[in-house]
Amino acid sequence: MKALNTIFDSLRKYFEAGGRLEKLKPLFDATETFFFIPGDVTKEGPHIRDSLDLKRYMSIVIIAILPTFFWGIYNTGYQSIASTGSHVSFLTAIFKGLEIVLPMVIVSYGVGFFWETIFASVRKHNISEGFLVTGLLFPLILPPTISLWQVALGISFGVVIGKEIFGGTGKNFMNPALTGRAFLFFSYPVSMSGDSIWTVTKGTGAHVVDAISGATPLSLSALSGPGMDISSSLTHAGYSMMKLFTGLYPGCVGETSTLLCLVGAVILVVTGVANYRIILGGVMGLLGIGLLLNLFAGDGHSPWFSLNPVYHLVMGGFAFGIIYMATDPVSAPGMNSSRWIYGILIGALTMAIRVFNPAYPEGVMLAILFMNLLSPVIDHFVVDFRLTKRMPNV
Amino acid sequence: MISLTIKKGYNLNVSGQPSSEVSDLKKPDRVALLPGRILFIKPKLLVKEGDEVNIGTPLFFDKRDDRIQFLSPGGGTVQKIHFGPRRVIQEIVIHLSDKEKKESFIAFSENQINAMDRTDLVKAILNGGLWHVLKALPFRDTAAPETIPPAIWVCLDNNEPFHPASHMYLDGKTGLFRFGLAVLKRLSESVCVSVATESPISDDKFMEMVTHQVSGPYPAHDPGVLVYHTKTHQLDNRSWSVTGQDLLLIAELLKTGVYPIERLITVAGSLAHKKYTARTRIGAPVAGLMPSEDHVAQARIVAGGVLSGYTVSHDSYVGFYETALTALPKGGEKEFLGFARPGIKKHSYSRTFLSVFNRKPLDMDCGMHGEERACVNCSSCANVCPVDILPQFTMKAIHAGEVEEALDHGLLDCVTCGLCSYVCPSKIELSTILENAKRDYYKESM
Ligand code: SF4
Ligand code: SF4
Repeated sequence: MKALNTIFDSLRKYFEAGGRLEKLKPLFDATETFFFIPGDVTKEGPHIRDSLDLKRYMSIVIIAILPTFFWGIYNTGYQSIASTGSHVSFLTAIFKGLEIVLPMVIVSYGVGFFWETIFASVRKHNISEGFLVTGLLFPLILPPTISLWQVALGISFGVVIGKEIFGGTGKNFMNPALTGRAFLFFSYPVSMSGDSIWTVTKGTGAHVVDAISGATPLSLSALSGPGMDISSSLTHAGYSMMKLFTGLYPGCVGETSTLLCLVGAVILVVTGVANYRIILGGVMGLLGIGLLLNLFAGDGHSPWFSLNPVYHLVMGGFAFGIIYMATDPVSAPGMNSSRWIYGILIGALTMAIRVFNPAYPEGVMLAILFMNLLSPVIDHFVVDFRLTKRMPNV
Repeated sequence: MISLTIKKGYNLNVSGQPSSEVSDLKKPDRVALLPGRILFIKPKLLVKEGDEVNIGTPLFFDKRDDRIQFLSPGGGTVQKIHFGPRRVIQEIVIHLSDKEKKESFIAFSENQINAMDRTDLVKAILNGGLWHVLKALPFRDTAAPETIPPAIWVCLDNNEPFHPASHMYLDGKTGLFRFGLAVLKRLSESVCVSVATESPISDDKFMEMVTHQVSGPYPAHDPGVLVYHTKTHQLDNRSWSVTGQDLLLIAELLKTGVYPIERLITVAGSLAHKKYTARTRIGAPVAGLMPSEDHVAQARIVAGGVLSGYTVSHDSYVGFYETALTALPKGGEKEFLGFARPGIKKHSYSRTFLSVFNRKPLDMDCGMHGEERACVNCSSCANVCPVDILPQFTMKAIHAGEVEEALDHGLLDCVTCGLCSYVCPSKIELSTILENAKRDYYKESM
């Protein structure tokens, strides 16, 4: 630790103004401050400051993501091997999963970090810790069959267009990981939707045994014609509520297990890093619209109308989206009442997109992105309303 | 009596609490006034080095209103006048003689006060050099003598770590306090006296005078916070305030005709050798209160509370208004993998460290504990603000030059408690930004 400090001290001169590697100062700072919280002291204002900083804040988010990350590795590997019909052991699933997921994560971090460093050195500001979260979230919301060049392209778009052109973390109003995903979704629909993308079959030496095992619960549901009962066709395909909840089925890398998303939610809410109002609001919005649709269920309406809305909580990326994406404080509103509105609208919109626009069965991502755009507006109205109740002091 | 509970705010559980003992300090050999520490005034000196002064001799006045004078808290010779950058008068040091001489002022009885003309009373306080302890909200500049304020708040307690509790300095002074209230009642129709609910004062005679019993986390006892939570009219924003100890000074001056010089000052903090409350004098030397033990040399000494105070050097003096000295560790050590530690001893408003389970007072140093970042809209600052400001939005309005918008947000209600800066994980100097904007606005409107 002392030795490490000495190394940093001796290298610093190359990165200072006038040094040979001056341009890479943000990279040096990011590395140094990763290992050491700087020894700065208060100059003005309150003499003591909270021990919490953004590094800690973001590390808690990462810890909360890890359960879904590890599950994603296991599940991806499991599905890939299971699709060949062979027996899956825990270890082989993990190895197979690592083989698929790790390169995605490495590319996501590597390419994203590259952009962060470029922007930080041009703008002469520090690399924000927010990226550590974005870089991990991004591969988790992609199908495991995605090509690495698409990962690179997506994260580049997310970081550059979703964040940096607005001025970097804190000034962006869209979640960068979702921006990247939306970009891939609209530019490469074939790689991002359909039934064949959820399980990696390449390199397993066999072809898919059962076509239906490639369909996700959401696409399966969207296929149901009028008069069919989604829950029974789900059960028929092997998707019991329990299975959907625990998450051993094909889907985006990190999204399938609602259970582990809940574990993450507990970590985020208990530590106060994520605002529970957004999550609860989202669940309420989704269930609310779901129940409303139930009222209109019957002949002539799509089978979605009669589906028990609880299914929506466990299908697809809703849990993951509302817990990890919607709660990103930068792109969410800053007032508690706006957070309720924001959450509820995300839930409602997710439901609406899923039911009324089956072309995009995964509604939650679009719903969050759309609400990201609206969140400053919601805040604006909520703040204005609050100010009308404030006795002026001028 | 009105019971008031202030919900928002935050109590820092800092180690180094003072004991409840009050010790009388022996007479120091020097005392000083620190004009540079008095907000807004433009001091004009009335003495020069070498002059003989008595207790109560005017040392300087405020150029903006020459009736507002500042009197010598000691008798002896003017030993040194320190000037800072741009010739700001920083310290006027009086070397005390063994037998100090006192100026004499007119003494009044309570009946005389009750029958007195307001103008005459104002004049008596002005002549006695204590008008400046009356502060006008929201800027806390010296109150304008001719103005009749909507109310005067006497805030007896201060729960910022660590200040003398009201029962310590009021002990045996109920009569004097009553006299002080009689004076204030001649200045304003409404006089509010607030005391902490947990205060051990049980004297019925005293409690009759209390109008508000206040509970809540820091800064619940700040006059600005109390006005914010009790105001019924916009004019109430211009209420005046005075601290309990300062009111006793006015009372003593008018009752005895002698310029009072006693002060209770709490000395505490994890690096203070002895943690106690001292009965000493206005303008006492820091070194006399906090002997220079080794660990004091490594400390940052803060005058006036760990959140809202300022740094003083060990060879300086305690400012007129300050009643707290805290010795905090300077901090500034780099911390290896600091973000990944469980943090059972790391103080935080958040719940991101194991210290949430730790009820013990924690050592707090002057480190920033992180680097400045852009605001992530976490709203911690808004959650602690005692006067419901949304500091993150107000800060953005200030940065965009939208002063009007910042005012709409309640900029002038800000009491500069410092909590928003304390909690901010992005280490943004919110309270300083707001305070500067507020002062700039005041200076422009002057
Ligand atoms: S804005 Fe900050 S300094 Fe001002 S009162 Fe609120 S918390 Fe205190
Ligand atoms: S505490 Fe800091 S980061 Fe959080 S909202 Fe306030 S200013 Fe922004």
